[in-house]
Amino acid sequence: MRRNVHRRRAAFAAFLVVMGPGIITGFAGNDAGGVTTYTAAGARFGFALLWLLLIASLSLVIVQEMCARMGAVTGKGLSDLIRERFGVRWTIVAMLALFIANASNVVAEYAGIAASLGLVGVPPWASVPVAGIVVWALIVFASYRVVERALFALILAFIAYPVSIAILHPDWSEVGRGFLPTVANDPAVLVMALALVGTTVTPYLLFYLQASVVDKGIDRESFASARLDAILGATLAGLFAFFILVVSGTVLFPAGVPAQTAAQAAQALRPLAGEAAGLLFGVGLLAASLLGLTVMPLSTSYAICEAFGWESGISHDFRDAPVFMGLVTFLLAAGGAIVLLVPKEQLLPLIVVSQAVNGLLLPIVLVFIMRLASDPSVMGSDANGRVRGTLGWGIAGLTGSLSIAYLVASALGIG
Amino acid sequence: MPYLSEIQNRKILGPGGDEVAKLADVAVVPSGQFPPVQWAVLATRAGEHAIRWSDLVSETGHYRVLVPLDQVLEAGLPDDALRLGRDLMDKQIVDTHGAKVVRVNDLQLEEAGGQLRLVGADVGLRGLLRRVGAERLAEGIAGVVGRKLPRGIIPWHLVQPIDTGNAANVRLTVPHAKLALLHPADIADIVEDMSADERRAVFEQLDVETAAETLAEIEPEMQVEIVGDLDEERAADILEEMAPDEAADLLQDLPEEQREELVELMEKEEGEDVEELLSHSENSAGGIMTTDFVALPRELTAAAGINRLRELKPDPELAYYLYVIDAEGRLDGVVSLRDLVVASPDELLAQIMDPHILKVEVDTPKEDVASLIAKYDLLAVPVVDAGQKLLGIVTVDDVVELMLPRGWKKRSLRSIAR
Repeated sequence: MRRNVHRRRAAFAAFLVVMGPGIITGFAGNDAGGVTTYTAAGARFGFALLWLLLIASLSLVIVQEMCARMGAVTGKGLSDLIRERFGVRWTIVAMLALFIANASNVVAEYAGIAASLGLVGVPPWASVPVAGIVVWALIVFASYRVVERALFALILAFIAYPVSIAILHPDWSEVGRGFLPTVANDPAVLVMALALVGTTVTPYLLFYLQASVVDKGIDRESFASARLDAILGATLAGLFAFFILVVSGTVLFPAGVPAQTAAQAAQALRPLAGEAAGLLFGVGLLAASLLGLTVMPLSTSYAICEAFGWESGISHDFRDAPVFMGLVTFLLAAGGAIVLLVPKEQLLPLIVVSQAVNGLLLPIVLVFIMRLASDPSVMGSDANGRVRGTLGWGIAGLTGSLSIAYLVASALGIG
Repeated sequence: MPYLSEIQNRKILGPGGDEVAKLADVAVVPSGQFPPVQWAVLATRAGEHAIRWSDLVSETGHYRVLVPLDQVLEAGLPDDALRLGRDLMDKQIVDTHGAKVVRVNDLQLEEAGGQLRLVGADVGLRGLLRRVGAERLAEGIAGVVGRKLPRGIIPWHLVQPIDTGNAANVRLTVPHAKLALLHPADIADIVEDMSADERRAVFEQLDVETAAETLAEIEPEMQVEIVGDLDEERAADILEEMAPDEAADLLQDLPEEQREELVELMEKEEGEDVEELLSHSENSAGGIMTTDFVALPRELTAAAGINRLRELKPDPELAYYLYVIDAEGRLDGVVSLRDLVVASPDELLAQIMDPHILKVEVDTPKEDVASLIAKYDLLAVPVVDAGQKLLGIVTVDDVVELMLPRGWKKRSLRSIAR
């Protein structure tokens, strides 16, 4: 009897090792922002942006490996390293970028909740405050782990996308052409491109992954498996994005259905699920958004408090960790308030914009990552070599030029 | 009283009044209460140049070297020197007074008896503001609303840099001496805030007894990580020192292979105790009991019983109830410490013991044990097997958590999300 229990535990431990931080973050990347952005990109541009998605996914693989390596070599989180290497002023810059990016993610998660519950007729003025209060209470009074497990199970609804591919028989030569870099003659393409990059290589993910590597006590010796996990996780996230975009590009784009509302976005699953498409999409989106809404404020507060040396910890007594609990509460309250200011039919476009904000700020975070990961005084012999250095700076340069292009375009009134 | 951030980057003038370098950093040897600044690291065009602090003269807004820089002796920094800017600024330190991990925003120096000394670490908001040049401004704003900015300075003698064992991060020459003076529960709180490397460093350097007490105070999930990170010999030493029930609880959560290896490495007696405990379900009396208890044979006299106690020197919480057993180890009764002391010296334990004793069987659910202890206000209850043989005891400490409402304990966030 006892032996059995032990064996089951051993199997579970092995599962956890495989299901490492990288793979978990890979899944977590498919939050409200990801699903909505990929669907919207497919609906509006068909397969035309697949080449950018490929670049973004490869970038994620490369950058995620760097962060995992930094965590393993230094035993420190990203905000920790930024503070120790660059001092207070640069830390403020980095934390401000992370804060704005993550706050816009919080807005996206709320929008996801409002949009998915809107499918069954719940108005945002009811769903958003209730979700905010429930999540706040969950964070403070219950265990995050329990929430995580339950929601992970529901997110599996998104497996509907790869399954859809099997019955859709997309035109593969058409899909293949999407990998040839082209730029659509459409002013909206810049925002979509930023959102696509921003939701794939989310700044939040990079901080989160490095923190979990440190947390698991993975060191240089056990790094080989952690690196594999980081790379597999990033690849998995990229594949999922590819499936969603192809499904949406096959179903929504030819029909001219824009993914402006959850009901329209859910149409992409109609060939597979028929009438149940709305339910399937809604359940997945709701679970992903709720999970994101729980993790995002915690993750943000943790990174910021770590950088500035403020006490962090969950407690209903604010005096125990005033800044930490203050930030969590502020993010949850302000994010919800912003969503309530937006008309119902603009919820999904709001999510895309929030991901574009992530894309806009990504280069800032990437420069910090590259400076740290290439510095032998931080990384010793594990610093980036010439190949990884060139690749990394290339990614930073590409995303940087995309951000600048957008800023210039919007200043000129084009975008 | 200057702060490091205020003197860093100050100009260094040569004897002729021309700028020859900038002050990059200062260095101390971290011994004594308030270590004196002994070296200045200058940034010159040719690179960094360390000289003795006494070769510098402080003037308003800058420093001056009295002889040309190329004639000033290059002072090599000893290995145990601490460069304040490079090694301490922005780093995490342990505040042994408040028992928490904080970050150094600035370092406070003080001129005393012609010596500039390191007197404190600024971990407060003021230090942060000063670094971005906004201290005055913030002070003004706070003044308008009639408040003062709090100072967050920890005196240096209460501070302990964290040594991670990583060459780039060695900030410490005294091993965790100050940390070890804290209560284990406080050390546990600090350790829970640390990274895996730092945790390992602490558990390698604490003495075994403190390490064991500290480990017992840490959350189960993190206990497993720490034991997994430690060298096996060291881990086994610490486990031996823990109460057998606590050691068993911890081992319970380890992978089977590692558990067997550790039990193997433990001293025979402790190892067997733990193995015995591991064989019971963790939700039963057997799983939460400890094998540390005092059992005396029934034919002993009171005087001999007291002598036996003197030899055993049991922990205070184990000395209240003395269990009386027969030749086969079966539980016959209990004698309280008071009864033993007031009995006449030649009375037999069998005569003074209370034979009506509350006991539980080894497979009794732990909730039932808890309610029994609560109902009869016991400090401990003995655990017996089907043949009435005494196996161990469950003390009130072991079940107190079952009686508390759920969620009272401050949860650690590290493993949740960031």
